[in-house]
Amino acid sequence: MEIFKKTPNIDFLKFRWFALALTIAIILAGILNMTIGHGLKMGVDFGEGTLVRVMYKEPISVSAIRQLLDDVGLGDSIIQESGKSGREFQIRTVETRTTSQTGEEIEGHQILANKVISALQSKEDQQRLAQGMIDLNNIDSRSLTALLTEISAENSEELASRIMTYRNEHGIIVNWDELKKEPVSLPDEILNKLQARAFLGQMTVLSKETVGPQAGKELRKKATQAVIWSIIAMLVYIAFRFKGIEFGAAAIFTLSQDVLICLSIYSFTNREINLPIIAAFLTIVGYSVNDTIVIFDRIRELRKTMRKEPLEKIMNLSLNINLTRTIITAGTVFLAILALFLFGGKVINDFAFIMLVGSIEGVYSTIFMSCPVVLWWNQLFGKKKKVRK
Amino acid sequence: MKKNVKWKIGLTLAVIALSIFLIYPPKEKIKLGLDLKGGTHLLMQVITDDAINVETDQQIARFEEVFKKNNVTFTRAAKEKPGQFYFEGISADQEGKIRDLIDEYTRDWDYTLTGDRVNFKLKQPAEQYLREQAVLQTLETIRNRVDQFGVAEPIIQRQGSDRIVVELPGIDDPERVKNLIKVTAVLEFKLVKAGPAPDEETLLQEFGGQVPDDAEIVKGDPRRGLQGYYLVSKVASITGKDLRSVRRGVDEWNNPAVSFTLTPDGARRFEQVTGQNIGKQLAIILDERLQSAPVINSRISDSGIIQGRFTPEEADDLVVILKAGALPAGIKYLEERTIGPSLGTDSIRQGLLSGLVAIFAVMVFMIFYYRLSGLNAVAALILNTFLIFGALSYFKATLTLPGIAGIILSIGMAVDANILIFERIKEEMALGKNAGSAINTGFSRAFTAIFDSNLTTIISGVFLFQFGTGPIKGYAVTLICGLVANLFTAVFVSRLIFDLTVPTNAKKLSI
Repeated sequence: MEIFKKTPNIDFLKFRWFALALTIAIILAGILNMTIGHGLKMGVDFGEGTLVRVMYKEPISVSAIRQLLDDVGLGDSIIQESGKSGREFQIRTVETRTTSQTGEEIEGHQILANKVISALQSKEDQQRLAQGMIDLNNIDSRSLTALLTEISAENSEELASRIMTYRNEHGIIVNWDELKKEPVSLPDEILNKLQARAFLGQMTVLSKETVGPQAGKELRKKATQAVIWSIIAMLVYIAFRFKGIEFGAAAIFTLSQDVLICLSIYSFTNREINLPIIAAFLTIVGYSVNDTIVIFDRIRELRKTMRKEPLEKIMNLSLNINLTRTIITAGTVFLAILALFLFGGKVINDFAFIMLVGSIEGVYSTIFMSCPVVLWWNQLFGKKKKVRK
Repeated sequence: MKKNVKWKIGLTLAVIALSIFLIYPPKEKIKLGLDLKGGTHLLMQVITDDAINVETDQQIARFEEVFKKNNVTFTRAAKEKPGQFYFEGISADQEGKIRDLIDEYTRDWDYTLTGDRVNFKLKQPAEQYLREQAVLQTLETIRNRVDQFGVAEPIIQRQGSDRIVVELPGIDDPERVKNLIKVTAVLEFKLVKAGPAPDEETLLQEFGGQVPDDAEIVKGDPRRGLQGYYLVSKVASITGKDLRSVRRGVDEWNNPAVSFTLTPDGARRFEQVTGQNIGKQLAIILDERLQSAPVINSRISDSGIIQGRFTPEEADDLVVILKAGALPAGIKYLEERTIGPSLGTDSIRQGLLSGLVAIFAVMVFMIFYYRLSGLNAVAALILNTFLIFGALSYFKATLTLPGIAGIILSIGMAVDANILIFERIKEEMALGKNAGSAINTGFSRAFTAIFDSNLTTIISGVFLFQFGTGPIKGYAVTLICGLVANLFTAVFVSRLIFDLTVPTNAKKLSI
């Protein structure tokens, strides 16, 4: 099967100034948005703060949650619905309001996290907790085992693990009947005793993450350092293999503009920058370098046989010969990421989104950006050499 | 030629067998990170200044003793800051003697004599050593505590100079573990001289408002229902180091308590102290908080109990920390993540599903577009996936979300390698070559591009691994494994499959 019956003959380099203008426009828009617009959202990994994920028994609206948080003075937290059931949310508190004498800001964040959690619990649940009842939807396995041991001495450990497994699979236990049925099959007698001591809370905490300011700062520094060193290493290797600093520089330029364009587009969404997103950016960079090298490899090869031809013509030919490959590769990657985007779940969704953007953008940058940079570099720095000779 | 193919088949089969051996059974061999499995991640900093402080205090006490014994006069000894102290009011004619004494007793401290003062400063290498030791001991103690607590497969690692990462899979009650890790756990038994009193003034009334030289004030632990202040002897009769064994027990009212036995040396001292002080109270102090102060009824030698209105969990935890020993320095939490097991279950299920869908979609496309040669690529792709997981299992690496990103990149590049080769073969065939020689040139021409792009990415992966922390490292590991596997499967194995299935003189190729 073929996409093109014959090798196409498109003058891609003709569009180089137009492409440069487009790139600059997108990046400028992104920078404006990131600085004076609504800005880039730093996730809990890089900024400091607390991220709490919760799940409710019944669907509830974001505004209802905001109201609950507003009552305890945390109304400006970032609330996002995750999942499709309308029952799962993630709440991100931004600043520390608790002053800490110990210098341990993380303690402040933790107090904040606990405040968020207690604000989200219903009044009835709070009363029950105050009465010493136990919330079966938030209990840990050890305490559940202890509780079951108190009410019935027999096989409490096994019962506890059955209940916990059930809760882990469903996120939250909605009503007692669920525990009577398979696979938990709790005997009526024990269920009655359990109901006297425990209740099924309205909400369960799925995860709680707290990052102190020091850790966030360090992570930012380390991640930046790692990325800069790896870019320098790539530059050196490419310059060495392709016998010219201009190829290394072009590869780095191309991948930088990939990152900037994706970052700009990302800044217009409501998504946050966190560690998996950094991994996604590194992956986009990886594909970009891969694509660029494939083209450069063809240029390197053609230059041996077409010595007399101008570089520009060789570049256009290389791009055209490789066009099928560029499209198919990007297409398969797009296909794979699309699966992650559609079925990967909430944790992976931001990651898959930016990868989708990156896989399309990568084609654009390979075709329209990588080669022109080599030409521009030669125009800027190449001529001087000749003059000196 | 035949011989050549034989060893290639052998090698390929051996690699397949090895990776299956490494992966099987996957539930045990492939370790999932906390973001996929659920559990608690704690990042903490060891406050190594504590260790320097302790050393400074000990050094002051030591030289006070040395100077007194050798009749060196001084008016005051004081600590300036951790690792720096001075003696004041020394006389000039004793300078030589002081120099000799210091030289004799320490090599770790620099000193200068100015006027009536001698200033001590901890030497850099000694300070470095103390800080290093503090981190190593803390690491060891935390490891002991977590082991005693009974967590399956905990990860306890040092990170950088003074950071420690603790990862506890499956723990859904982080507060308890956090407290368990953080307590310094210095246990001391001291004689009670006075108390309890509601405040310090009342306590010191019978001593004329001054704390006697051989005594100090401790507060009762509110968690044990003790609010008041106590005056206790400065020197501990026995400490946590004298404990031989600790276990959960009950007191005379059947409340949870901790019973202990002492080492022979500790028992001897304990017998002496209890024998001489019958009728007095003995304070049991944990981390400078009085837990209980029972009256000594009789001479006790090698065993006893610690009581103090414990809940069963608190008694259990106390057993754990006493067994594991005290921390040499305090710790401070920098980061805490608890991923509930249900979120983890969700992530695995969806991650697995989407991963399978992704790989399946790519495979269908390759077969659709490249026909039989597409099957070749699919075989290489499957083998590649096996190799990545085999390598992960071999390196005992954990699979995290960023790690999955690394796998996606490497699988994408594996498919790309096949596409590059196939497109090149098509080009050669379009030039009129027969299948055999087109495959030959296709592979050799495409090789430079595949090699350079994979190696560039591997190089950047190595740097990410070297300089990155946890999650970035996880990404780099899967990426490097994947790309190395890629060079093997896409270039070597794929070629082998062509060699085996396509006769050298074949005219046509299903591609």
